[in-house]
Amino acid sequence: MSDTSVKQAAGRPAGLAAPGSRALGSTLPAIILSSNLGQLLLALILPVSVIAIWQLSGTNGSLFGGVLPTPDRVVAAWWTWAFGATGMGLNPYSGTWLANVVFSTQRVAQGFLVAILVGVPAGIWIGWSRLGAQVLDPTVQILRPIPITAWLPFSLAVFGISGFSAIFLIALGAFYPIVINTTQGARHVERNLVRAALMMGAGRFDILRRVVLPAALPAIFTGLRIGLGIGWTAVIVSEMIAVKSGLGYVLWDAYYVGRMDVVIADMVSIGVMGLLSDQLILLVERWALSWRLAGAR
Amino acid sequence: MAEINLRQVSKTYFAATPVRALDSVDLDIAEGDFVALLGPSGCGKSTLLNILAGFEDASEGSALIDGGAIGKPGPDRGVVFQEAALFPWLTVWENVVFGPKMQGVPRADYEDRAREMLATVGLTDFAGSYPAQLSGGMRQRVGIARVLVMRPRALLMDEPFGALDAQTRMAMQELLLTVWEKLNTTVVFVTHDIDEAILLAGRVCVMTARPARIGREIPIALPRPRSIDDLTTPEFTRYKAEIMAEMRSAHRQAESTAA
Repeated sequence: MSDTSVKQAAGRPAGLAAPGSRALGSTLPAIILSSNLGQLLLALILPVSVIAIWQLSGTNGSLFGGVLPTPDRVVAAWWTWAFGATGMGLNPYSGTWLANVVFSTQRVAQGFLVAILVGVPAGIWIGWSRLGAQVLDPTVQILRPIPITAWLPFSLAVFGISGFSAIFLIALGAFYPIVINTTQGARHVERNLVRAALMMGAGRFDILRRVVLPAALPAIFTGLRIGLGIGWTAVIVSEMIAVKSGLGYVLWDAYYVGRMDVVIADMVSIGVMGLLSDQLILLVERWALSWRLAGAR
Repeated sequence: MAEINLRQVSKTYFAATPVRALDSVDLDIAEGDFVALLGPSGCGKSTLLNILAGFEDASEGSALIDGGAIGKPGPDRGVVFQEAALFPWLTVWENVVFGPKMQGVPRADYEDRAREMLATVGLTDFAGSYPAQLSGGMRQRVGIARVLVMRPRALLMDEPFGALDAQTRMAMQELLLTVWEKLNTTVVFVTHDIDEAILLAGRVCVMTARPARIGREIPIALPRPRSIDDLTTPEFTRYKAEIMAEMRSAHRQAESTAA
């Protein structure tokens, strides 16, 4: 909707607006602001000014008496972290950025996959069958209020200092939004769609696979996006304590040795990875739910 | 083609206060008959159709198709729903071949027929479209094609054109007449539109409101093939007057029993 109006506005040459047409949205500033470039500029105002103020208020590369490094120092720290030579005793982080990003991303991916493989079928069962709801739903509801951070000691005791600890926490954290949203989706399948499938000879499994699952898909994707966000939270928390690698480990380690420049570069890296993985899900969603957008084309 | 016999069929919904939706309905439909169930909205005519489809069970009485008890829903009774109820995530073609695929029919055996049925309803060019890209009338044509593909013994139609605008509705009625005159399938057609009932059906069953009962059965002797031009003939108007009188008295009866 807004997309088409942007295109229309951008497609009309500003100077050729019909005389006397002073309708809303056709003035020159409005046209500029509604173009893609204009939107980007609007979005950049706040972060750019914050970074500028942060940079300008620092002296000798830091603020608050050396606590907070200025942006240029953060960028420099990230550069060494990412592209510096490895194995130099002076800077333990040099050249290890990519490896740590891969460690964390891998764990999120593994835990997230487990959460999908367990959460989607469980949600379909709870939402579709009364028995499923009676068997599974109470347990899910009792366990859900326990924050994943509270599971950390348990996870450490069971899996030890290892990647499994992290994967367990990620899977658990992502499981709840996935199972709950899938349940909602499966519960609200249009009755006549199920009846139509029965009328055409579909069996119980066909109904689940070809009617309930696709009908629940929009809700499932909502759960996936929330779950992935929680997955990134879980990986950082568990790497800070239960694992000796990854972005979370570096974050905590850098804090201990007073490398706030690395801490901030690490935070930005986490944010970027979270954003990229969310975009990936959106891309898959757009592909999987293209039938929904078909009418708008 | 199928013969349908209902004997003393009743339906009660057990809620806080039990609701009797159908009361001792007797109905015999011969093979190849086109029967319209005509009644006010919410009178229970859809309940009757759901029992025929197997979506709901009768509380009392017997519902038979070709002498056997009506069981679970199945491809022998093709249902056309009011809102088409197409699968929005499947293309028109995938919707039409859904039935044969579910029944394990080999592709070679259904493809030609599916193509033929799409052509019959005039949607050959839209085989690759999604339901969201179609108009209401087109969606309903897909709903009809996907049922005809299965060669059902009976067609059960639940106000299939009720949600369409007047012009589309007339076009759909003519389409249904053409298709039916070619296939001669048994049809049970639920509607609250008197014109539609007379135009399409060989027999109109006027239903009373809550609990629904079949008041009177009026055979429509208009010659076939019919078209929407029949809507303005004196004979048509005579049927309409008769049915309206019947509906009015049924309404009065319902009011007096309710009071």
